[in-house]
Amino acid sequence: MRGRGTGLKIYGTLIFVFLYFPMVIVLLFSFSPTRTIVGLSGLTLKWYQELFQDPRLLIAFWHTVMVGLCAVAIATVFGTAGAFFVTRVEFPGKGVFRALVMLPFLLPGIIMGVTLLIFFRNLNVHLSMFTILMGHVSFTTPLVMFQVSSRLSRMGPTYRWAAMDLGANPVQTFWHVTLPMIRTALIGAGLLAFTVSFDEIVISYFLTGTWMTLPVYIYGMMRFGLSPKVYAISTIILILSLVLITFMARYTGRSADTYRVRKRDAG
Amino acid sequence: MKRRISKPGEFIKGVPIAVWLLALVAIPLIFTFIMSFYSSSGLVIDRTLTLKNYKLFFTDPLYARILFKTIRLAVAISMLSIAAAFPLAYMVSFKVRRGRNLLFMLCIIPLWVSYLVRIIAWRTILGNRGVINSALMALGLIKEPLTFFLYNQFAIAITLTYICIPFVFIPVYTALEKIPRNLLDAANDLGANELRTFYNVILPLGLPGLVTGFIFSFIIALGDYIIPLQLGGTQGIMFGNLVWSQFGFAFNWPLGAALGFILFIIAVAILGLTSKFGSTEGGFLGE
Repeated sequence: MRGRGTGLKIYGTLIFVFLYFPMVIVLLFSFSPTRTIVGLSGLTLKWYQELFQDPRLLIAFWHTVMVGLCAVAIATVFGTAGAFFVTRVEFPGKGVFRALVMLPFLLPGIIMGVTLLIFFRNLNVHLSMFTILMGHVSFTTPLVMFQVSSRLSRMGPTYRWAAMDLGANPVQTFWHVTLPMIRTALIGAGLLAFTVSFDEIVISYFLTGTWMTLPVYIYGMMRFGLSPKVYAISTIILILSLVLITFMARYTGRSADTYRVRKRDAG
Repeated sequence: MKRRISKPGEFIKGVPIAVWLLALVAIPLIFTFIMSFYSSSGLVIDRTLTLKNYKLFFTDPLYARILFKTIRLAVAISMLSIAAAFPLAYMVSFKVRRGRNLLFMLCIIPLWVSYLVRIIAWRTILGNRGVINSALMALGLIKEPLTFFLYNQFAIAITLTYICIPFVFIPVYTALEKIPRNLLDAANDLGANELRTFYNVILPLGLPGLVTGFIFSFIIALGDYIIPLQLGGTQGIMFGNLVWSQFGFAFNWPLGAALGFILFIIAVAILGLTSKFGSTEGGFLGE
């Protein structure tokens, strides 16, 4: 079954080129003194310097970090609580409940944007950091919940039972047994949630007033054509997300073999 | 599978997630549903209940036409994404041993790379003074930039396919990895060649993943409005843009609410199909 498959490998390579060529283009353009790629004459860091001279961009960057961190913190609390609920409590209609919780992540972002915008306007909440933050909490919570609940169900209840049998109370069991076992899942989920929150624009675009996050600010810049500055900030974002993904893969232990058939734990 | 109901005391664990679900999902949806029965006159919203918005959707052919166009494009994008991602998943799952982890990571990294950066990249490549045109002009193949790359459905399709590939790759890969390898040996022992094994063993067992991947990319393509705005031009107005414009310059929130709710119903119906025919574990969020 391990044929040579040369044709397949060529096709696969082409797809990889398709996947990574656009990223390379952005990278190259950010260092190019002229705005074209053909006749690339030398490299420059001019556009990166200009980024640091744009106070509004720096503020937007800071806003994005702040929203991301707050969203991760809130989503971790709600998502983890939700994960404990769906793995440990049995009730009819649990499948439907899980599906409902996943909706903000699965639905097109525009639907979350529209419904939250209408909701906040009806309650007379002004568009601000708060509205953007709530938008981000809406789709990061299912993300955390999914990661943590898959770890919990993989663990099974036996460790917890053992701890209880040895006389640990529920708090001790959580603190000394369950928490250390889900720690890496929590860190991975947090990184993932931050990465997703950092780029989010589809929902944020609906919920943004004058308080802007970085993607919304860049989107505004794009209205006047793609300036080299856009490429420079894109490259920074690109590198930042690569770093975050690498860490995330480490913590969640995600690799090619993750999905191999494995015996399912009880519980 | 035994079904039992936990003690009432246990349900206290569900309070935080239930509060979240009500506050950020259920109640906003209900508000939207109610607003879809209001109407807009000028800048004020008339709160008397009416079916006007839904009537407009079902009678004005504009809406049905754009919805149909959007669905057609979303199907095309899903097919393209499968054409790209299925062979890739097949290759990583069955054909490589060395560097498998690296290849796998290379396939899923684009999933988490900024959406906006990817749009910027494709605008750069397809633009009038973009990469393709500059390259063709430098090679002397064309004198004037070709304009048919950007601001049409082709540009939307290529960018959305680019975005959807990892979303198809992961469920397909997950499904392929679940195929017990001794089945392939069995097929081989029974005299099936590689092609026959592919059609009779791998494809049927990988189908749930394929369905899930198809539906993920379909949903992504169905609701997107930023890519059509950025790369679609005037001929690339999609259903998402119709919804979006009601909250922007058209300023008809009740109509926007109705169109948004219609999109919601379509998306939920399609997601419902996944749970029926697709693999139960999407896999792309899990560990």
